[in-house]
Amino acid sequence: MSTPTRFSSMPYTGPAPTNRSPYIPKGVDAIDKRGEEIEAKIAAPYVTSVPGQDLPTFIVEREKIVEVLRKLKEDTELRFELPVDLFGVDYPRRPEGRFDVVYQLYSFKNNERVRLVVHTDEDKAVPSSLPVFQGFDWFEREAWDMYGIKFDGHYNLRRILTHEMFQGHALRKDYDPAQRWLLTEKDVAKIVPVVEHHPEDSDFEQVTLNLGPSHPATHGTLRIVVTLDGERIIGADTEIGYLHRCFEKMSETHTYQQVIPFTDRLNYCSAIINNVGYCMAVEKLLGIEAPPRAQYIRLVLSEFMRIADHLVCIATNVLDMGALTNFWYLFQPREEIYQLVEACCGARLLPTYTRVGGLSVDAPANFLDMAKTLVKKLPKHIDDAEKLLLRNRIFLQRVEGVGAITRESAINHGYTGPCLRATGVAYDVRKAHPYMGYETYDFDIPVAEGGDTLARTLVRLEEMRQSLRILRQAIDRGLPAGPVIVDDPYVALPPKEKVYNEMESLIYHFKLIMHGIQPPVGETYFQVEGGNGELGFHLVSDGSKNPYRVRVRPPCFAVYQAFRKMIVGQTIADAIATLGSLNIIAGELDR
Amino acid sequence: MGVIKIERKKLTFLERIYLWETAKGMMVTLRHLLRNLFNYKDLPIIEYPEVKRIYSERFRGRHILTTREDGTTRCVACYMCSTACPAECITIEAAEDDRTREKFPARYEIDLLRCVYCGYCVDACPEDAIYMTRDYELAIDTRARSVVGLRDLVVPPNMPVEPMGWRPYYGEMRKEGTAGGTGRGQEIRTAAFPDDKAPNPDLYQGDVRPASESTPARGA
Repeated sequence: MSTPTRFSSMPYTGPAPTNRSPYIPKGVDAIDKRGEEIEAKIAAPYVTSVPGQDLPTFIVEREKIVEVLRKLKEDTELRFELPVDLFGVDYPRRPEGRFDVVYQLYSFKNNERVRLVVHTDEDKAVPSSLPVFQGFDWFEREAWDMYGIKFDGHYNLRRILTHEMFQGHALRKDYDPAQRWLLTEKDVAKIVPVVEHHPEDSDFEQVTLNLGPSHPATHGTLRIVVTLDGERIIGADTEIGYLHRCFEKMSETHTYQQVIPFTDRLNYCSAIINNVGYCMAVEKLLGIEAPPRAQYIRLVLSEFMRIADHLVCIATNVLDMGALTNFWYLFQPREEIYQLVEACCGARLLPTYTRVGGLSVDAPANFLDMAKTLVKKLPKHIDDAEKLLLRNRIFLQRVEGVGAITRESAINHGYTGPCLRATGVAYDVRKAHPYMGYETYDFDIPVAEGGDTLARTLVRLEEMRQSLRILRQAIDRGLPAGPVIVDDPYVALPPKEKVYNEMESLIYHFKLIMHGIQPPVGETYFQVEGGNGELGFHLVSDGSKNPYRVRVRPPCFAVYQAFRKMIVGQTIADAIATLGSLNIIAGELDR
Repeated sequence: MGVIKIERKKLTFLERIYLWETAKGMMVTLRHLLRNLFNYKDLPIIEYPEVKRIYSERFRGRHILTTREDGTTRCVACYMCSTACPAECITIEAAEDDRTREKFPARYEIDLLRCVYCGYCVDACPEDAIYMTRDYELAIDTRARSVVGLRDLVVPPNMPVEPMGWRPYYGEMRKEGTAGGTGRGQEIRTAAFPDDKAPNPDLYQGDVRPASESTPARGA
């Protein structure tokens, strides 16, 4: 298990973790009480609630999981309709079964979440939850790929993030990450999309075509295999994993601070939001809160990053449809947003700005002036794009009714973010579970009807205006005084002048870098509203300096799995327009 | 909870005949064109490489190792930077000077291709010894050149502040000695190393593994 590898060349030889106190979440009594209520509603002997967690948590018997999921979904008072997450955790040599399969559901009706845990083993299959939640399709495939957890009744249980020649299951604790597996061209799986309906009287024969993995219109390395009848798509399948960077495995061999640069690379169009999400998850586990000044700067940069994300999405989406002018007009303000980020933390795309407990460094003196100038400049660019697009007959004909998804289907597939709001569901993490003081800002959730490409563009355009509204209010409030990182030597490095001049601080400095942050034992989930939807981090801590498990809930992953259904019956050009509007970021999709 | 419902507006007759809307769209483009023509200075374009963007004082570019006034490196080979490095790109070998019992790095290598430029090494250094510069032009022609050693990293003592990036203090470089003492042990460096040749191309071993270790059951 602790074979020295290239990724962990120095096995941890420090002292045993000092922090063995269990993690006690905020408001745990109310959560436990709610958990008992839900347990009473399900009223089944095979569901046991686990007290003391940050969400109502239940252990469910393996065979009964689908039944429980259906009950939770269909109960008129509970309505847990949104499949948020499904992933595995490995506890080798545990008597009740090696793996945990963790399900998380969200209820729009009561604005609450529930977590279900199933214990299973290598040879025991878990019933597939696909009959209830289509959205767990790829999540189950990922759990199979990473842990070898079998799902009974899954129609297509094959590897998703790794390739066909990969041996073993990468996220198991006894997997040696130094192994290399070679995939040659002859071993690549031939994907033949399922064709549901090929009209008899068609003038064309069926043609199967590969779009990608390296195609300028796929925005990253995505492979889409389509079967065509003329120009119409009659069957489609998608293959991902070309940008898999073992984020979750690497996190397990690095300290909590060292994971922050890795989070930059998830959704690289809005990297600061990932930084914030991860750091706030660790802070939640530690039971601390960043100082107000740090929270303020995080919020302002998050909103700028959201705007940048939407700018990229719209710009490249219309670029794929041939509207080059917009691309230039929208990339210019993005450039200036990156300038602000660079002035704060020294890097444009991959900022690594936040630290657990605050920020790495205070914002520059002219931070607010720069933000003010930007907020003044941005609306003009957005208006220009809107003028060029929304009254343009060519654009409208390309996007209206294209790649539509119904509200029920979107919810069932686990959609969040602008793609869900484009189907008319007003769900935004910033409103549903406010963090960093979003509840004190006045802003609206834009929703549109139809769920097509036009609706997604409309929602994104309006969302940028709402972000600007938040930014204007933030700038009016001004930068709060105070430090930007907590004064806790077990969490944050002491200031440099103290390190140079004081023995105690020097010791803390060495201790923190050698032994890392050691959060209490426990697990937690924290979600933020990312550029594409709900970005969640589920952390499992065993009290040592390295996280036991870091799970990212990538919004793209849920969104992209429905893509192959959305494009059937449309033309290739429509598929490209749809793909652009979903804003699939391969860094986040493949992790 | 504020929710805005975005309505789709139907195209009017004028918009449907398209020509008028084209003209309006062209007006937007024309406005940009004219503004750019007559305000050439405000063009959001940098004519790289003749003109370069000026990055902030926090820019995280290529690393340097600072030196004390007497020309010895400030680094005391405490391994903090290589421990903090998430990419594991720093290799240090410590040595001790016979006369002064000072520890110093006999070998200090950074693999610039592995480096993720997060600045953790600078944050971790208790000796003010490693800084990042604003140098971002890191193109190399062979992989071996990506590994830079002391020869490439150490700068002369009074290096001007101007090219400096991410470092503990902005505005000026710290000059006075820190906890490490004067460190007269090392050979005093006034300029480049005497054997100032290109870094050893054999340093980079790549991912080549010995045949005995090759992965079992490949393709089985």
